[in-house]
Amino acid sequence: MNKLDNIIYIVDDDEDFRNSISWLLESANQTVRCFSSARNFLENYDGNLGCMLLDVRMPDINGLALQQIMAERGINIPIIVISGHGDIQMAVSAMKQGAMDFLEKPFDGDVLIRLVKKALSSVKTDYDRLTEIKRVRDLFENLSKREAEVMGLVVNGKSNRDIAASLKISPKTVEIHRSRVMTKMKAKNVAELIQLSNCLEI
Amino acid sequence: MNKPIDDLQNCREDADRYRLLAEQSTDMISRHTTSQEWTYIDVNPAVERVLGYTPDEIIGTSGYAAFHPDDADNLSKRDESVRYREGMYSNVYRYRHKAGHFIWLETTSRVIRDSSGKPIEIICVSRDVTEREEIQQAMARLARVVEASSDMIMFCNHETHKLTYLNESAYHTLGTEQETPVSYYLSELFTPEIYHSLVRDALQHAFDHGVWYGSIPMELSDDQDHVAEIREIIAHRNRREDDRVDYYSIIGRDITLKLRAEETAKRHQLEIAHMSRLMSVSEMAAGLAHEVNQPLATILNYCHGTAIRLKEGVADPVETVTQSMKLITAQAKRASDIIKRMRAFVAKTEHNQIEFSVNECCKEVSTFLYQEALDHNIRFIFDLDENIPPLLADKIQIEQVLLNLIRNAIEAYSNCDRAQRPVNIETALEDKNLVVRIMDQGCGISEDDLEQLFTPFHTSKSNGLGMGLSISRTIIETHGGQLCANSDGENGTCFTLKLPLRE
Repeated sequence: MNKLDNIIYIVDDDEDFRNSISWLLESANQTVRCFSSARNFLENYDGNLGCMLLDVRMPDINGLALQQIMAERGINIPIIVISGHGDIQMAVSAMKQGAMDFLEKPFDGDVLIRLVKKALSSVKTDYDRLTEIKRVRDLFENLSKREAEVMGLVVNGKSNRDIAASLKISPKTVEIHRSRVMTKMKAKNVAELIQLSNCLEI
Repeated sequence: MNKPIDDLQNCREDADRYRLLAEQSTDMISRHTTSQEWTYIDVNPAVERVLGYTPDEIIGTSGYAAFHPDDADNLSKRDESVRYREGMYSNVYRYRHKAGHFIWLETTSRVIRDSSGKPIEIICVSRDVTEREEIQQAMARLARVVEASSDMIMFCNHETHKLTYLNESAYHTLGTEQETPVSYYLSELFTPEIYHSLVRDALQHAFDHGVWYGSIPMELSDDQDHVAEIREIIAHRNRREDDRVDYYSIIGRDITLKLRAEETAKRHQLEIAHMSRLMSVSEMAAGLAHEVNQPLATILNYCHGTAIRLKEGVADPVETVTQSMKLITAQAKRASDIIKRMRAFVAKTEHNQIEFSVNECCKEVSTFLYQEALDHNIRFIFDLDENIPPLLADKIQIEQVLLNLIRNAIEAYSNCDRAQRPVNIETALEDKNLVVRIMDQGCGISEDDLEQLFTPFHTSKSNGLGMGLSISRTIIETHGGQLCANSDGENGTCFTLKLPLRE
């Protein structure tokens, strides 16, 4: 799994503009990495999670094309599209392709910072969720077949006696499996276990 | 004692001599009654040579009847043709020949009176002046042509350079009336420098070779808004004496109207050129707005970033602000340069010939089109001959033509699927011509369209006016050059622009 670095990737062919955006974002204590072209980004992307500020108008591979290439390669980071005057049509296309938002140049620095923070926090939320799912899945995979069956019945609200009947084992044995499930899944009570199982179903 | 007889004899001899004289005279001598009819009483034999009648035929007929109807009453009306001197009238008039046609006669007549002063008869001496009169008539017609000519015609004395004759056109241009003539000397019509150099040389040339052709500007008084020049000088030689030049004819022309028409045409052309520049700019507006936006966005970023830093607190606020100010200044300059470039391009300028490098011009124009080229994935490829000399021309107009041609080359790819999209820009020196070639590798132009290419309002673009190439060609042709297009209709188009280099 990729690292969460909260890096802001800037892809714009205008050097002055890249420098000014760095100045702005660094003043808001953000970490930025600049790329002068789509090709430059694709060749040097480190695979870490962050968000992207993408200029739609660029020579060679333009913003829309880069967006498609990233989708094909599974580079899944939120993109804020930056458009110049008269590029609204391109910005709309970018939004349809799944960009998070777009800004028209020149823009308000506060708006940019707010958008960037929103993008990074959405990355963090996603990242946290994925991390949680992975953790739960790992725990779940440590269960034996019988333990997994018991867990499935427990979260469906079956009593120990019902479980014993349907599995054709003694209630005493059910009790033991159940306690092992709680330990292995690191759940304090049935409510927590239900939450964890919800994670697994997705 | 024989004296009376001798006297009589002498008289007779005299009378015979006079008769002989009259009979031998080639002039027609006739005697007429003083009546209205001026009947012939007597006439010498010369009448036959002059009027075709024998004396016998004409004696007794009316002298008045043979006058040309228009001239019959010259004498009584005291016409211009009649002169009076010491009791004699002389008159030039048309008179009927026996054969029916009219001849010109010059007649001197005298009325003979008796001692009481009563008229007895009229004696006339007439001469056929038809030939002379016809020459004079031709001369008069010629003079009228000279007088009425729209060219300025002046006669100038060889020695004094005084103008002895000016036709109406000359008076008009010089701003005086023929009725109140001002006497001019040739030197007054030119600035002293021109008079002492060009005019003297021209007179000398006419003196040596009979005629001089050329063009010398005249200097007219300030309140005259006329512009005129001398075109021709003819030296006239004295045929009788030693063939010396005795006067010059100077022929000039008032070119005020011509100049005005030229100026109007030039102004129209400037206006068309200006309009087409405005059109190019409006077509490029999106690209230009994008270009201006770039530094503006950059400036805003620096401002916000700096504000945040100051609010959060930095170690050296002065240093932080100084640094960002420097960056902001550079960006503001970048924006203003774009505006300046645009303004210079759309500025309404007079026709202004300056020396400049066409290579630089090509580069400047392509930076203008940088954004447009980016959007269409176009690559500019330059092959500029560094040895070409500077061009003397109207830089803004040449820029405009280049801009037009390069934009066309970019647009040549718009309906055309090509992976490689080069636009080649070449300059070279060929046969004392400066040659610029703009080439694309688009889909080319069909033969039919090539023929129509430079026709005004012919366009292949949905949003074009079809004036670009027509104006471009006009501009190049006013610079004495050529603009043409070549295409095989499939693999691109080459526009060639040739401009003559001055020696």
